[in-house]
Amino acid sequence: MTDKRVRKILIVGGGTAGWMTAAVLAKLLKNDYADIHLVESEEIGTVGVGEATIPQIGTFNRTLGIDETDFVKATQGSFKLGIEFVNWGALGERYIHPFGAYGLDMDGVSFHAFFLKHHAARYGPETMDQYNLQALAARQNRFMRPVNAGNSPLSKIAYAFHFDASLYARYLRKYSEARGVTRHEGKITSVSLHPETGYVQHVQLTDGRILDADLFVDCTGFRGLLIEQALKAGYNDWSHWLPCDRAVAVPCENAERLTPYTRSTAREAGWQWRIPLQHRIGNGHVWSSAFTTEERATEILMSNLDGKALDAPRHLRFLAGHRKKFWEKNCVAIGLSAGFIEPLESTSIHLIQSGVAKLMQMFPSGGFNQPDIDRYNRVTTFEYERIRDFIILHYHLNRRDDSELWKYTQNMPVPDYLTDKMALFESHGRIFRENEELFNDTSWFAVMIGQGLKPRDYDPVADVQSAEETAARLTNIRDTIATSATYMPTHEQFIEENCDARTYVPA
Amino acid sequence: MNSPHTLSHIVIAGGGTAGWVAAAALSRLTNNGETRITLVESEEIRTVGVGEATIPPIAMFLRLLGIDLSEFMRETQATIKLGIEFEGWLREGHRYIHPFGDYGRDINAVRFYQYWLKLRAFGKDVGEIEEYCLAAMAARHQRFAPPDPDPRTVQSSMAYAFHFDAALYAAYLRRYSEARGVRRVEGKIADVTLRSEDGYVSSLKLADGREIEGDLFIDCTGFRALLIGKAMGVPYVDWSHWLPMNSALAVQSERVADPLPYTRSTARPAGWQWTIPLQHRTGNGHVYCSDYMNDEDAGKILLASISGRPLTAPSQLRFTTGRRAEFWSRNVVALGLSSGFMEPLESTSIHFIQAGVTKLIALLPDKRFNPIERDTYNRLSIMQFEQTRDFLILHYKATERTGPFWDYVRNMDIPDTLAQKIELFRSNGRLFRFEDELFGEANWQSVLMGQGIMPERWDPMADALDVNVVAKQVQGIREAVRETALRLPTHQEFLTRFCAAPEPVD
Repeated sequence: MTDKRVRKILIVGGGTAGWMTAAVLAKLLKNDYADIHLVESEEIGTVGVGEATIPQIGTFNRTLGIDETDFVKATQGSFKLGIEFVNWGALGERYIHPFGAYGLDMDGVSFHAFFLKHHAARYGPETMDQYNLQALAARQNRFMRPVNAGNSPLSKIAYAFHFDASLYARYLRKYSEARGVTRHEGKITSVSLHPETGYVQHVQLTDGRILDADLFVDCTGFRGLLIEQALKAGYNDWSHWLPCDRAVAVPCENAERLTPYTRSTAREAGWQWRIPLQHRIGNGHVWSSAFTTEERATEILMSNLDGKALDAPRHLRFLAGHRKKFWEKNCVAIGLSAGFIEPLESTSIHLIQSGVAKLMQMFPSGGFNQPDIDRYNRVTTFEYERIRDFIILHYHLNRRDDSELWKYTQNMPVPDYLTDKMALFESHGRIFRENEELFNDTSWFAVMIGQGLKPRDYDPVADVQSAEETAARLTNIRDTIATSATYMPTHEQFIEENCDARTYVPA
Repeated sequence: MNSPHTLSHIVIAGGGTAGWVAAAALSRLTNNGETRITLVESEEIRTVGVGEATIPPIAMFLRLLGIDLSEFMRETQATIKLGIEFEGWLREGHRYIHPFGDYGRDINAVRFYQYWLKLRAFGKDVGEIEEYCLAAMAARHQRFAPPDPDPRTVQSSMAYAFHFDAALYAAYLRRYSEARGVRRVEGKIADVTLRSEDGYVSSLKLADGREIEGDLFIDCTGFRALLIGKAMGVPYVDWSHWLPMNSALAVQSERVADPLPYTRSTARPAGWQWTIPLQHRTGNGHVYCSDYMNDEDAGKILLASISGRPLTAPSQLRFTTGRRAEFWSRNVVALGLSSGFMEPLESTSIHFIQAGVTKLIALLPDKRFNPIERDTYNRLSIMQFEQTRDFLILHYKATERTGPFWDYVRNMDIPDTLAQKIELFRSNGRLFRFEDELFGEANWQSVLMGQGIMPERWDPMADALDVNVVAKQVQGIREAVRETALRLPTHQEFLTRFCAAPEPVD
């Protein structure tokens, strides 16, 4: 048997996707299994602005053995307990989609059922915040990492990070290079395919250098230099459900308080993000060219900043959807080359992480094995589609009549999976997390209630407890959470004492 | 205060295991002071109750009902089950255990068996894969003790289920349910009345003329499927081209030795035979395909190979493997044999009843019967049923046995979902739990390897660690599992101490 093992891997493109991939490969494959190379050009700007993440990034850091404090300092990072959504359900409304669960399941019945029964029709987002420590702490600008406190919610604080994506890429570059990844500086002029198999053979750089490999990872961003331009993987266009196709981003000076959450504010033809970092705030306006103009979108962004703009606004174009094949022949697309889902629920970094993790699971041993590739593509498609449905929910579930985008998304037909999920919730407030979809029932509950979808009835299983008992236990949960929050320092305090970027000493 | 739409009356048609499992769970979890539960059964109708072996989720189900495990075991003549020994399934003389619980432990986020495969390829002495699974080793040595809550111990990896007498289990749950207000009506169901406007079941008519009305009906009438099949005409999806077994003969025999803590499944020329040890006797049965074997020969094979004197005449069962097109139709939910049948090769019958009623409670309708709850129930139940079907087909497909019957199953076409799974494993030893399926990676690994599908290569991720370092760790696990298993009390000692059942009175 000839040895068809992968001995050389070339990651094409740096940026967040490229360096995250490099770091994992360097850590898990070590360099004696395969040589790992990355080619990038300093001339090509990366998209990375201020990035927000979700708690799964903790697994990524642990896999790499990254010291969290060191990483937060190095990337001007801050902590994130959830996302505040402003003006989404209707103008003037706001709610928090927090990390971590609401309340506590009791008698084998989910907390949501008791919540809906007890509060009957009289509840709003503020009522919900009282049952989730992350939401309450976010409202009060507090943060700390979980501590060992037995049954207290303080033992289970769920969090993620905001950080500067270019600093993050730099941080992971250092990590990867220290573990033997070879970096090549240069711009790619052509991609050459094997005349019979169609596999990628090598890429050529402007100075004539040729870089070959057994496995290529396409991290070239929207362009999809390998996966699309060379291998023609095809693209599933979702813009009929997610019509935003542009963004304009700008950093600004910090505000008074360092909030421990991302904010997303719905605008007339899109929405604006606000990501607080230690040294500045990342802002961006995601908008739809079918519903407004670049001039108007930029004006909205620039007139809604907390402080002075620190740069000129940068413009981006994209198309919601994903590559029909994420993995084709000997090339795997990771990051924006794989697909684009707007950063409304901070899933970009997670999709990179999850793509690399799946690549590791299905890593080719002797030659490329079609069942492995098929499974990679099937599972990744499923993951993209479920995130897509959750994002569509935010657009679809609104009662706004002030602008065309919102009227359009309110009335558009949505995927069946989402229709069923909403119908099931509307009937008796039930949510099932299926097949390990990324967003769990807490997330669906937060957004559905937050944007005004009220179940007609509560789940009758809540009747297993008497109304008096439920009332007493819910009061107890609210009190425990309120007391727990008072033990938490403010977000600024926590950062100053634990991971102030000004104290960063590169290793 | 309950909602005005809360169900007033749930009627369970049929007792037996399905009926009483449903009654017990509903009485515990829908105890809202509003919904009444009635179960109609007739002592004249014999229950099938062959599914006497179970899988680990049953312990969780019993705990959910607040049932004390020691009392339950005593009342049902139960023994511990650590897995299934498959004898002769790959070829005559071969045997392997499909145990509960995991093999070894992951090293560097890579599955243990990948290292085992690699070391084996390097010619290291790594023994059999089952030497790394505590439940398998405990089964080999006929020992048992419950898992240790401390996750750092090998003993924490112990996983188990039960063998029990299904009739005693039904009787036990009947007492449980009646104590929680379930009303039992003795009577034979003569007719099912449908509402003319929408075809919903409005009442059951009993042979003596009584009529029982209800909002929600649960069909536990077994193969007869009086409500879902006969009255409502929901069709049956036939899977016998993949799982051609259609007959079984069951017989109880005298206990002649201490009960084994595992089920045994022995391949036969046109099917297989089960041996299920209880505290007071042994259950035996021969499952076969009548196209390849007649009843008389099947009976001879069964009686010639049981240990201990038979206690009953063999009873005959006929079935068609498959499922109802819908498990929940209008206001009728089918549980147990009325919803479908899969042979008890992996002891899933009782699990499907439990899973069905738990799902029904999670999606309990109200008097308005919103279709979304029904649709969700059907989608989820059917998915799990089909995934289990694939797992069963694997046992027949991956074999070296010959003869007319085995030649057929070895060469038959299989569902794509299964073909993909086998191919992923065969090439690189990869396994993925497909969505929310019942059988996880360790189960598939066990049966795939046991049935002779050895991966061509191990996962390259296993190459990140030095072979000699891994060899030492693997050896350490092997010794720790062995030592832990040998320190356990014997299965019989455990039973005597924890839950000895009374001698049955004949």
